[in-house]
Amino acid sequence: MDTLLRVQRFEPTVDRAPKTQEYSVPFRDGMTVLDAILYVKDYVDHSLAVRFSCRQASCGSCGMKINGVPRLACYTQVADVGGREVTVSPMDNFPIVRDLVTDLTGFFEKHKEVIPHVVRRDSAEMESPTSDYLMKPEDLERILQFTYCIKCGLCTSSCPTVATDSLYPGPQALAQAYRYTMDVRDEGGAERFKVLDSAHGVFRCHYAGSCSAVCPKGVDPALGIQLLKRHVMSAKPPRGPGEGARTSKP
Amino acid sequence: MRESRLMQLQYATAAAALVLVAVHLLMQGVLVPYSTAISFDRVLAVYKDGVDVSLLEILLIVVVAHGFNGVRIILLELRQTRSWTTWVSRGALIAAAGTIAYGTRTILLAVLGAPS
Repeated sequence: MDTLLRVQRFEPTVDRAPKTQEYSVPFRDGMTVLDAILYVKDYVDHSLAVRFSCRQASCGSCGMKINGVPRLACYTQVADVGGREVTVSPMDNFPIVRDLVTDLTGFFEKHKEVIPHVVRRDSAEMESPTSDYLMKPEDLERILQFTYCIKCGLCTSSCPTVATDSLYPGPQALAQAYRYTMDVRDEGGAERFKVLDSAHGVFRCHYAGSCSAVCPKGVDPALGIQLLKRHVMSAKPPRGPGEGARTSKP
Repeated sequence: MRESRLMQLQYATAAAALVLVAVHLLMQGVLVPYSTAISFDRVLAVYKDGVDVSLLEILLIVVVAHGFNGVRIILLELRQTRSWTTWVSRGALIAAAGTIAYGTRTILLAVLGAPS
């Protein structure tokens, strides 16, 4: 049995509009959509552009729309999406570089805007640590699922607010903002509040929930955003260095 | 004003509007038969009653604040430039203030007696 693979092709410097090309791919058990695309690239049409790396849903490179739903091509078996016909196209809400490859530059810029790392002010201790920063299991539990994000962009591609508001950080960045803001070791709340508590910040989320529905790692960005709204609404913004840290060294 | 404060206002006015509209409908449709609730004399009587007229004024402020903040949010998602954000926020504030002023004027004219 062969699988009919429909691929959206688009070369922005040449084409005026995307077009769909069809390929026949020999089906085998366990074949992923990425396998099917790479079969085409290897044996039928070398010009097909696709980004991939780990092939095990760890790197987040091969995000695309598969039969209209944002998924990782390496993590989606052809049999699970019908088997006979599969349609692949680039993720929505991102500029197309070529064919299935999208430009993630803006996505990572927004990720950086929320300062996605633990911020500490005790620079002397950071330079010459004397002991560990302790974290209670329940503190870790609160943020653990958000640490599983692989930055594939599927949540952002499915978000209706990102589609209409170009300044909105998007579910990935906001979920990471929650992850670091609620980290008991962090002291970077004041800087993050400038992005989160703005006219195009966390409150522009309409809770469509599509981000959580498409996440291949089981992260629930919509939950993180709602919790972040509550935190931003109830908390006084940290005003200066050192404010906000809740851990102490033994 | 911080966006979180504006959204608190949005949620609070939504809840308040639900309660106040319910009380308003209760007063107009249940305590007084609906058929007579909008008669000319009855409406004038409402404006002469301190509780009724206070309820109307509060309802006006709550609904206008909620409505214009909602319009502001919709317009913010229409375009994304710094000047648009500034002018939409200012415009919504001015329009809300104007609507409240006009509504209050109407209430005051009814309370004090409109010049014939």
